[in-house]
Amino acid sequence: MSALPNRSPDWLLTTVSAVRELMIRRLEAAAADPEAQREMELALEELDVMWEELQGQAALLTRENERYAQFFQFAPDAYLITDAGGNIREANQAALELLKAPLGEVAGKPLSMFIAPEDRVGFLTRSVGLMFGAAGMPPAWRSRLQTLEGAALEVEFAVRAIPLKKSGIGGICWLLRPRA
Amino acid sequence: MTQELEELRIAWLGLKAQVDQLAAERQQYLEFFENAAEAYVVTAADGCIVEANGAAVDVLQRRKRYLRGKPLAVFIALDRRTDFRNHMAGIAAGQAGAARHWRTVLAAGGERVEVGLTARVIEQAGGGICWRLEPAQ
Repeated sequence: MSALPNRSPDWLLTTVSAVRELMIRRLEAAAADPEAQREMELALEELDVMWEELQGQAALLTRENERYAQFFQFAPDAYLITDAGGNIREANQAALELLKAPLGEVAGKPLSMFIAPEDRVGFLTRSVGLMFGAAGMPPAWRSRLQTLEGAALEVEFAVRAIPLKKSGIGGICWLLRPRA
Repeated sequence: MTQELEELRIAWLGLKAQVDQLAAERQQYLEFFENAAEAYVVTAADGCIVEANGAAVDVLQRRKRYLRGKPLAVFIALDRRTDFRNHMAGIAAGQAGAARHWRTVLAAGGERVEVGLTARVIEQAGGGICWRLEPAQ
């Protein structure tokens, strides 16, 4: 992984705000003073440098996002990411193949919708236990998955916590492994 | 001039928000990959390792910085390497019916480690292959 610049956006924002305040004060105090004009030009140059640095950081993050998003999309295992309420936020290619559904028919739906009816109560009980951090909940268990076409498939679910990309708050990453 | 500064400030805040969002997105995918219980290795189209997660580092028994840039083939036991290269060539060429899962033997930390290999092609610009290395029970 490439190293990120040491300076954080917060540092940049604080600095640019300080430069801006300085420029305004100079403007008000001595608009016609050549010395003040020169100081302002320097401040503007500094602002340009910081602006470019932040843009560079945005470009770097964009490249890294695309790269790691590819690792998720094309992982050899089926993965789903849900919010704490169990609604599917993301599904990778292997998961869509397992569910036999396009992303549009999966995203936003409760994961329990894809569990065979006879296993749904047990699945929801375990899911709610996970959401409330119940002690002793096994990190993996088996349930029958039901595709949109109605076919059932025994799957081992393994879960772990993951920060959601939209909010950074806690979501759940589900690994679905079909059992023979 | 003051108005221009205000516009600059608004533009700056917009970019700052964008960077924060990108950082949050990166964190999700980074944590997904790095903290997966399964050992994943990503190779480029030329078969060299571009990334390996924490679990893969444990399986291959090499530091991450040592893994990057090395052909994955060099971590396969010598007597299985030709078989590995044949499989990999088949996957990269998109041969119909090319095996995506097979067993092989790693040469890791001076020991022979039997593993199941599962490969999936990254069907996007740049390509490459994402591998799962699963030590035999």
